[in-house]
Amino acid sequence: MSLLLHILKFKLLTFIKFQDEIHANAILKQSSASVVYILFAVGIFYFTQNTIKYLTEDVRIGIFLLHRFIFALLFIFFMTVNIGNIVVSYSTFFKTAEVGFLLTMPISFAKIFLIKFLDNFFYSSSTLLLMVTAALAGYTSYFGLSWYFIPFAVLFLILPFMFIAGTLGAITLLVIMRFAATFGIKKVLVTIASVYGTTIILFYIFSSPVQLVTKVFAYFPNINYHFGFLESPAIKLLPNHWVADALYWISSGKFIAAGWYIYLLIVVSILFLLFALFLSKQWFYKSWLVFLNLSSDLSLKKKRNGKAVFSFEKNSSFKPRHEALFKREFLLFIREPSQWTHFLVMVFLITIFVISISNIDVMILKVYNIYLKTLIYLIIYLFNVFLIASMSLRFIFPLVSLEGETIWKIRSAPLDYKKLVLTRLFIYFSVIFVIGQLLNLVSNYQFSIMLTVISQLNTAFVTITLVSLNFGMGAVYANYKEKNPIRVASSQGASLTFLFTIIYLVFLIVLLFAPLNNFFYALDKSSYASLSQLLFTSLILGTLAFIVSYLSITKGVRQFNKDI
Amino acid sequence: MLKLSNLTKKFGNFTAVNNINIEINAGDFFGFLGQNGAGKTTTIKMITGLYAPTNGTVHIGGFDIQKNHIEAKKLIGYIPDQPFLYEKLTGKEFLFFCGGLYKIEKSKLKNKIDETIDQLKIDQWVDKRTEEYSQGMKQRIAIASALLHNPKLLVVDEPMIGLDPQSALVVKNVLKQKASEGVAIFMSTHSLNVAEEVCSRIGIIKDGRMIFEDNKEAVEQIKGTDHLNLESLFLHLTK
Repeated sequence: MSLLLHILKFKLLTFIKFQDEIHANAILKQSSASVVYILFAVGIFYFTQNTIKYLTEDVRIGIFLLHRFIFALLFIFFMTVNIGNIVVSYSTFFKTAEVGFLLTMPISFAKIFLIKFLDNFFYSSSTLLLMVTAALAGYTSYFGLSWYFIPFAVLFLILPFMFIAGTLGAITLLVIMRFAATFGIKKVLVTIASVYGTTIILFYIFSSPVQLVTKVFAYFPNINYHFGFLESPAIKLLPNHWVADALYWISSGKFIAAGWYIYLLIVVSILFLLFALFLSKQWFYKSWLVFLNLSSDLSLKKKRNGKAVFSFEKNSSFKPRHEALFKREFLLFIREPSQWTHFLVMVFLITIFVISISNIDVMILKVYNIYLKTLIYLIIYLFNVFLIASMSLRFIFPLVSLEGETIWKIRSAPLDYKKLVLTRLFIYFSVIFVIGQLLNLVSNYQFSIMLTVISQLNTAFVTITLVSLNFGMGAVYANYKEKNPIRVASSQGASLTFLFTIIYLVFLIVLLFAPLNNFFYALDKSSYASLSQLLFTSLILGTLAFIVSYLSITKGVRQFNKDI
Repeated sequence: MLKLSNLTKKFGNFTAVNNINIEINAGDFFGFLGQNGAGKTTTIKMITGLYAPTNGTVHIGGFDIQKNHIEAKKLIGYIPDQPFLYEKLTGKEFLFFCGGLYKIEKSKLKNKIDETIDQLKIDQWVDKRTEEYSQGMKQRIAIASALLHNPKLLVVDEPMIGLDPQSALVVKNVLKQKASEGVAIFMSTHSLNVAEEVCSRIGIIKDGRMIFEDNKEAVEQIKGTDHLNLESLFLHLTK
């Protein structure tokens, strides 16, 4: 225990020193980051407060359904923390030099696992924790609870909940690595992906939100009661259900009833951690060895496939400089498992999304309320934008930092940095652009052709903005010492970019809501739907895209000219 | 102190280290030579527990590094070629951190750190953050951190990389002194003149196999008959 505290003390010291750099640039960065964080937290506070007010007072869904809505949101939150921890843990556990260093020291494997798990958990979940805390504050304010409910709920509801998700992620990774040694990594990954896919589908089958709403509204106007008896017993085993129910009872003033769920969350999170520690004692070192074997297998395959597609030895119709850049990007991408596996996970999510929204037009046309139609359309659209934003954050943000190891070659080569920046951006932009356009087409193609065209245009501008924003912020927060793209994409600068993205999403809602609502209204009344308002949104988005891309590319070019 | 028995490491079908047997006793200074990719670093990583052998065992002070890794690691001081340091910590803080990992009592640790700083002549920059260090500075901090717990076995991977002549001399003297105090040293190096100067035993590895292993006297004898120096002997054996 003392050894563990000793290591954690020095880790904390390293973190504090990371934050206390006192040159002007760092102060400016830190201050602007703090301002954005505060503004963002305030924004979430009011957004939560107003959303609850709208749902309970205007739409009048009742307290029970409100908490079922929170339950569904918490499921998404759980999966985000869980999958995030699997992906980031792979880098933190196996790819950092620190683990190699600690393995040569007389420390048990379980302790190394615990140190790296905590490192990983707080590093990758801190922004999410900030968002949840701000949302909790909005919730507390709406229900008139005491201010100390916020730290209480963070400590005893949210942290144990996130801890369960995080430890489950770490356990899943250990299981993947352990079984990869016996069955091969591909089979294990496919199995795990199937398990996750099945879990998501089962969640929607068992929680059946539409049926629940219908059943609850049969009791109208007494819809504030606890209708737990209408739900499947299976979903009551889920941690997000415990949090949602605890909040329901607290908001109803029945704190004793919430106590059981709080107890359950704390006990289960401790049990999960103990199980993770038990597994790590047996499997952490073995997993490390599996990782080394996988890496060496890949490097041996590389040697054998030296003259495969995109080989530098093959002739190309591109200009030499473009050829060099294209081939380098491609080879580095496919030879870095954390890059292509993460890309495949995103493609997997996109495929599920595309399948699930293939009937969006039918869904919208069936809805009687115009506001609801607009809302559903916007949610789908924002999810599309969110996928573009996630891909940009994960693959574009680290671009400048990843030049780290070769920056000496770039800086000493007779290169026009602007062309270099544009070429690199073009490679990644074109992939994200195509995905964004396809997603938009799938969710729009059965509407009027003009709405589809405008939507395609808007998505193009949104893609330019988000790709440029991530590139520019990646340049501002460039870290040439970090070799791991996942660590770069979950750094402080990346968190800040994520917050800017959320602000941009809110801006999109504000910008698009009225024109879309008017469009659907006209459609509903079978009258002429004017597109001028929608075209005006394209003009604004286009202007913004131009400004952001200009600033970002300039910043990116300047970064290459800076002393390093 | 160090016993490698039938040590083998395979990556898929590729054999990086093939059936190596070495025994190093207290006070031995073993120079481990070989071309790039011969298997030196893989062997060192198996000795320090970073890799698990495909076959064979590594015993340190009687402890199997795979079966009793904590006891074995307490006896090792490892100096890698590219040492890991926490960039935001100063050299001295890093030394305190490492001392804590070996559970050295604070007052003893303070004295030992002062002694080591003096020995390695790093007092001028030990209070700066390690992110400001050159490769040579980092190397000397790594060496200092490996000496704090009075290891019985020093495993050194390419210690002279990035060192200026003065630093190289300091490091050579420290390692020689440790060997004279009874510490067993296993050092991989490309610097044949360093190996010739400080090592009491020489081993040469090629394509994962030990092709030569003997003491300094035997090396001197071979040099005297066929070769002028260790370099020509090395080039002859590894061609």
